[in-house]
Amino acid sequence: MKSRIARILAGLAALVVAAIIWLPCLHLLFARPLSEFRQDQGLSPKARQLAARHLQLWTEPVLREQELKKMRASNAEWDFMGRSYLVWSLANMSLRDPASKPLYLRTMDQIIDETLRLEKQEGMYFFLMSYAKDRHYLVQPAHSLFLDGEIALMLAVRRVVEEKPEYKPLLTERVNAIVERFQKSPRMLLESYPDECWMFDHCVALDAIKMADYLDGGDHSALIRDWIAMAKQKLVHRESGLLISSFTTDGIPLDGPEGSTIWMVAHSLQLLDEDFARDQYQRARKELGEITLGFGYAHEWPKSWKGEADVDSGPIIPGFEISAGSSGMAFIGASTFDDGKFLASLAATLDFAGFPSRTRGRLKYCASNQVGDAALLYAATLGPLWQKVKTGARQ
Amino acid sequence: MIKKFWRRLAIFQRAEFLSAGDLLQRAGAISGLFLLAHLAGLREFTGILNGTVGSLALGWNLSAYLAVIYIALYLAFVIVVPVLILAAIILTVWRRCIRKENNFCVTSDTNFRRTDANI
Repeated sequence: MKSRIARILAGLAALVVAAIIWLPCLHLLFARPLSEFRQDQGLSPKARQLAARHLQLWTEPVLREQELKKMRASNAEWDFMGRSYLVWSLANMSLRDPASKPLYLRTMDQIIDETLRLEKQEGMYFFLMSYAKDRHYLVQPAHSLFLDGEIALMLAVRRVVEEKPEYKPLLTERVNAIVERFQKSPRMLLESYPDECWMFDHCVALDAIKMADYLDGGDHSALIRDWIAMAKQKLVHRESGLLISSFTTDGIPLDGPEGSTIWMVAHSLQLLDEDFARDQYQRARKELGEITLGFGYAHEWPKSWKGEADVDSGPIIPGFEISAGSSGMAFIGASTFDDGKFLASLAATLDFAGFPSRTRGRLKYCASNQVGDAALLYAATLGPLWQKVKTGARQ
Repeated sequence: MIKKFWRRLAIFQRAEFLSAGDLLQRAGAISGLFLLAHLAGLREFTGILNGTVGSLALGWNLSAYLAVIYIALYLAFVIVVPVLILAAIILTVWRRCIRKENNFCVTSDTNFRRTDANI
């Protein structure tokens, strides 16, 4: 009996010692040089593999149909955002890899044309969640800044890479409509859903306006400056200093600061106000970003805000409070602000818990979906487009 | 006859609880189950982690169930299996050290008695 107890105690002690040795080493299995995910010049191996998978989706309609159906069963917005992120990624890839530019431009045009066709044919509700129909938009005729901003930015980035005359009036028309609505709105807050405005959508729309100015020689710098001044004054969460995610047209907060929004917002702001963008990233990094045992991840909310898991945050893993949505978008923030340590640790987590699947040089993450993978591709390729517009460089 | 053959193979004999052999058997069992789940293609269902259904044909509940099985086996494979193997190594090394120490004590004791007898 004594020897049995001694053996069990020895076994337990060995397990504890083994766990103490193994757990801090686990990340080494998944840690890779940062250059595998993102490179300053050209395309990283992961960007190429992710892009190959997305290009396959746009050349094989049956495969695309399956993928989109799965996403639309959860959220019709993801179908739309997957298109936006892919177009924005391909624009950056065209500038990074000029030899493949014709293929990338062809795919961008295919996506933009199909998206515009669907919007026209099915109406704007096709890309919105069903609750958009539950109430009337306060401003009529109804417009969603979510759709207008992202479509405008798709058209703009395409034209920044290479001019396409057919897209010029489409961009001008959409940008003018957004600007007009900003000017008419007493608080400069536009609806994405009925009386529901999103920080993400405002920043993307302002990026599109800035890019249209770059392309066509307009000047909306006063509008952009005024909007940012208003946001700093009225749309910042006092405790964390982070911009809130959603609000009514009167500026009443709906959601507080959220990881699924703020990382992309910081990225978008970089084109509009570099200092404010960096301030938001650093605050988000402090309030939301974590590295534990070599693995990077992000929370959805700062400690000073209590929220409920939703379609944006994704499921929250209890204990560590890891949000899939926020962690995925954190790639974009870390990549924008060259936070190599955080980005490398996020990439280690992605390979550990994202369940990568490679087939013939094509990469997808099974724990993700098309929009998630497209956002990752964007994080792996972003940079050249913003740089070109910020410096005012011409083709 | 066949049963006897399998029983003779050490790997199929149940080792004592929490002995090195027991830990290795558990590591082997987890690895085998994970391999089966992986080959069955359950990795595809892990999309549930971001709220996407793994398969529209199988529906939410079954997809979620398969995803949970795969994720649990995967975590066991990358976290628990190495710990079990390391623990088995630690136990084996420890036992050898103890055995050597005992042998050393027995040898020293015998030598001491011989010396004593000679005196």
